[in-house]
Amino acid sequence: MKLKLLPVLLAAGTAFATVSAPAFAQNVIADYEPVTAEMLANPPAEEWLMFRGKYNNQGYSELDMINKDTVGDLELAWAWPMAEAGIQETAPLVHDGIMFLQTNNNIVEAINAETGDLIWQYRHAVAEIPASWSYQANQARRQKNSIALYEDKVILTTVDAKIVVLNAADGKVAWEKQVLDYNKGYSYTVGPLIADGKIISAISGCSIAGTAGGCYIMAHDVETGDELWRFNTIDDPDNPAQQESWGGVPPENRWGGTPWTTGAYDPETNTTFWGVGMPGPYAQLIRGSGDGSVLYTNSTLAIDVDTGKLKWYYQHLPRDNWDLDSPFERMLVDQEIDGVMHKMLVTVPGKNGIAFALDRDTGKYLWSKETIVQNVVDKIDEDGTVHINEDLVFNALGEEFLVCSSVSGGKLWQAGAYSPLTQAYFVPLTEACNTVAPTQTEFTAGNAVGSVKFGPRVLPEGITDAGLMQALDINPTQGESKWQYRYRPSPTSSVLATAGGLVFGGDASREIKAWDQETGEVVWSQRLNAPIGGYPMTYAINGEQYLVVPTGYSNSASSISSAFPEIPLPTGSGNSIFVFKLPSDAKTASAN
Amino acid sequence: MLRFLAFAIALFSAGTAFAQTAGVPPEELNNTRRLAGDSINVCFDVTSLGRPFDEDVARAIGDALFLEVNVIDGFGGFPLNGDGFMDELTLAMNNTCDVFMGVSVSANSPFSEAFALTRPYASIPFVFVASDPAYQSLGDIPKDRPLGTAMASMGEMNYITWAQQQPDGQSWVRYPYADPDKMATRVLDGTIAGMIVWQPAFSRVLAERSDADALRIIDPSPLPEAFVRVGALVSSRNGFLRSQMDQAIDALVADGTIAALLEKYGYEGKAGE
Repeated sequence: MKLKLLPVLLAAGTAFATVSAPAFAQNVIADYEPVTAEMLANPPAEEWLMFRGKYNNQGYSELDMINKDTVGDLELAWAWPMAEAGIQETAPLVHDGIMFLQTNNNIVEAINAETGDLIWQYRHAVAEIPASWSYQANQARRQKNSIALYEDKVILTTVDAKIVVLNAADGKVAWEKQVLDYNKGYSYTVGPLIADGKIISAISGCSIAGTAGGCYIMAHDVETGDELWRFNTIDDPDNPAQQESWGGVPPENRWGGTPWTTGAYDPETNTTFWGVGMPGPYAQLIRGSGDGSVLYTNSTLAIDVDTGKLKWYYQHLPRDNWDLDSPFERMLVDQEIDGVMHKMLVTVPGKNGIAFALDRDTGKYLWSKETIVQNVVDKIDEDGTVHINEDLVFNALGEEFLVCSSVSGGKLWQAGAYSPLTQAYFVPLTEACNTVAPTQTEFTAGNAVGSVKFGPRVLPEGITDAGLMQALDINPTQGESKWQYRYRPSPTSSVLATAGGLVFGGDASREIKAWDQETGEVVWSQRLNAPIGGYPMTYAINGEQYLVVPTGYSNSASSISSAFPEIPLPTGSGNSIFVFKLPSDAKTASAN
Repeated sequence: MLRFLAFAIALFSAGTAFAQTAGVPPEELNNTRRLAGDSINVCFDVTSLGRPFDEDVARAIGDALFLEVNVIDGFGGFPLNGDGFMDELTLAMNNTCDVFMGVSVSANSPFSEAFALTRPYASIPFVFVASDPAYQSLGDIPKDRPLGTAMASMGEMNYITWAQQQPDGQSWVRYPYADPDKMATRVLDGTIAGMIVWQPAFSRVLAERSDADALRIIDPSPLPEAFVRVGALVSSRNGFLRSQMDQAIDALVADGTIAALLEKYGYEGKAGE
């Protein structure tokens, strides 16, 4: 590890900081090693360079010093409170001995990953948010944007719809670009992917009145910020079937289709894969789309990174009427079987918890597997056509159905992980149902807000444990249950798999657990200060492996935990990271 | 703090759940009691279609109660699905607002028991607007012509409910619009044959657009009439204020103040219920 700091400068990083915040130690990292395209394609095992570790979104680390034999020896190396209260879903990155830690309100901190010392802090100066932007204020407080590293820069997407590029050495703004008009309601709430010299990002706010008809995945030149292409998830003039699927509703009367999770990338085919969320309004009775499938909502999109053109799509949940959106992480999995390489896209994309595998070169459906209790999908044909439960389609306003999973259950933003070691996919899930009824609720008289009423979340009949860690044994022909671990609290963090044969994940009861990938046995657990959150990750410095566990307040920690009075939330957000490592004399192996 | 926290948790567990937001971090809720003296903080949705009318009503209520009205723009700009609304309302009502004006009082009220609705101070209709002089009523419009409806509104609900009761082919195709101005444009360019819109929204279109003269309200039959009953929200903890508000509204309805304000803004409908 070669952390190189220039003499301390007490400098105000932004105009905001100069007027209202205490001055932080703004150091400068000397000789920061640029993150090359080659590194992004093949990240060193010791580092964690992007959202889920690698382009394949597997959330897997090749480090094995912390393993089934040593995990019980983990000790706290250091901890750090995040810069802001509020809701966060942080995904820390590590490169060249530096941890880049982002939290809500677009705050990024560079921290010495070995010692936990702050190096610099960037606070994004958002224009004062007027009362008419309440949604953006809300989003800023709960923002989950991951960040990206490329060359000597840190790249972030902001609540006010900007791409901001920082110098990794000192956290100062190198350049920024206003991508879309925040006055219409556009806002970034997921982080960017850097691939093929492009910043690939996806915008949110697509259910706001002013954004009608346009929800985009976009590419910008990573050097200049010039827009190279954009793909509209709810209006594809190149595909008549997409247009017809909205039942005659013109593009300007369509909403939704937000890609809520950073996509994956296959350098071999120069393709990026993104999940897309629910349509707006939620119920077809209100959105006017009849029995149309409302493409490309709840779909996987494979997009040519060079042109921005769609290569293929697959819809996981057509005709969504219940806000069971399917935008969550897509993982790329390669398996060689009998000399044949199978290139799959594997995902539990949405709240109904159904796992899917697709051929990622063609989009061909391979298999699906139900996990939690769900009643919205009746069957899936051999060709992958998904049939919804017609009995749950509303025929009248006010009609109410019990729908499983719930709007805050099933598979949420918490990402699963795949382990090549065991060829298993580990998915954090929540059992839940709620009643859903389309109603014209009109919060403010006459205003276009509110179209579905959800009842309280309840557990499915006969189930008392909300949390489910589901291990799926996957290959190109099937995904079968390898093991299940059921527990009362809901999972509130993403999952990390490692070459140490472990899976790490945390829950609303503030407990981080390590499971044995093979058996599902809990081999280590630690209770921390707040619900476990964000994206646990791992890195190594000077031959020692570190485990990073974020904690704090997230939408899952709040909405899910409130259902269990015996698992009280702490009063404060507790937004922090805890960094564990083995005792210095307990090193047992090096990275593979 | 415990009192406010309990209030917040009750809201989270009993209120409406949305896709991407779910709750306010406790630190965001002020642990202070407002010392208002002889004034009340009255908040508004700045995007509300009836915002100026609601402010005048608030001032009239303040006068009736011998209270100074502090006008505060509350919030606005939410997605169609209401994502984030209850979070922001919780913050506003806990930290800033005594009263929130201009809310819809209906059987499907989305507000949790943490909030109490006053009685309505006005009932204002949805209207059907067309530009083609050949149409004297909605019933004159051929069934193959699409209509526009104000997204997620009582008027739209009224239409959907009616249409669901008709035989196949005996209702109109409907496109939902979130922006009344855009919907008016589509009536004028012929994309849609007419629109179901809240009358204050139509009044604003008439006031702001020179090309709106061609738009006119026509008979909505065969649809039944649809109204929005407009009231205010107070904290359920403040039963005294709600009682005083209700009494003031009754008095202002009775003495013609509300009716005069409706006339001032060119709003149809009636004072009270």
